[in-house]
Amino acid sequence: MSVGHVARLMEASGIPTVVVAVAAFEQPLKKMVLPRVLLTPYLLGRPLGLVGDAQGQRAVLRAALDLLESAARPAMVHYRRP
Amino acid sequence: MSEIPEHKETFESFKNSFFYGSRSDMSFKFLAHLSDDQASDFFQGLLSKLVDAYDSGDTAPVYEHIRQSQILSYAQEARAVYDTGPFTPMDTPLSQSRLMLLTSSGHFVDGDDPNPLGVENMTQTQAEQQIMSFLKESPPLSAIPVDTPTDRLVVRHGGYDVRGARRDPNVSLPLQRLRELSVDGVFGVLSDPVYSFVGACSQVRLLKKDGPDWVQRFKAQKVNAALLVPA
Repeated sequence: MSVGHVARLMEASGIPTVVVAVAAFEQPLKKMVLPRVLLTPYLLGRPLGLVGDAQGQRAVLRAALDLLESAARPAMVHYRRP
Repeated sequence: MSEIPEHKETFESFKNSFFYGSRSDMSFKFLAHLSDDQASDFFQGLLSKLVDAYDSGDTAPVYEHIRQSQILSYAQEARAVYDTGPFTPMDTPLSQSRLMLLTSSGHFVDGDDPNPLGVENMTQTQAEQQIMSFLKESPPLSAIPVDTPTDRLVVRHGGYDVRGARRDPNVSLPLQRLRELSVDGVFGVLSDPVYSFVGACSQVRLLKKDGPDWVQRFKAQKVNAALLVPA
């Protein structure tokens, strides 16, 4: 959970973060108490979505950036494919 | 006349062989973290769903079955447990923010190989074979210029199946997608460069040395927010 450690360090130094991860990582990331996490319904190694699916990948990123801007408190959200 | 003892593989050693063993497969190494009963259920379900998919033409349940087993295998993981965590609110509108990207996908630009463990031109297979050495070392941080063409991105990581990331780097390093969203005005500007490292590394060194050093570097770039992607 290397990215979780970096997220905590960045937040502690004043940089807001959002993590995009596959849902398989839900429990390990929850235990790291991260500020904003978007969990996606894809296989390991493909957190942004399917190979070649530019539209789907952009939708995931838009959801992550929306979470980044809108979360007023720590939030872990499951991304639902449109 | 003595007989050579016949080697009989147990089900446990079979499922564990996908975890850096004789059948090493980064997409199915999770089997080693399942109990024998759970792994048995996985294989039985997989075979059943394959036949269903042949008849129906719908392969989605096969992939969902694999995904649910990946979720099950990671559910008991607890390498780092905290009671509380820091939270920094956004103080700049996203549309005016300098956004940075950091992934643990193991990408780098062709010609700028970080040569992990001092090995030049390390292959993916070698990275998997040396995973225990990676876990003892600091992770080199690869800087990737924002205008890097997709076909110049290379990925190598001994901890996960990089086949998807090879076919389309955007599945774990969404550089091209972020360039597009930047043009659309979804956020202010993408901080240059973006970064990637191999997440399979010494967690102690990352926490105590590398991570804090990186954060100072990011702050010097005056980033307003960060998108982080574990592969």
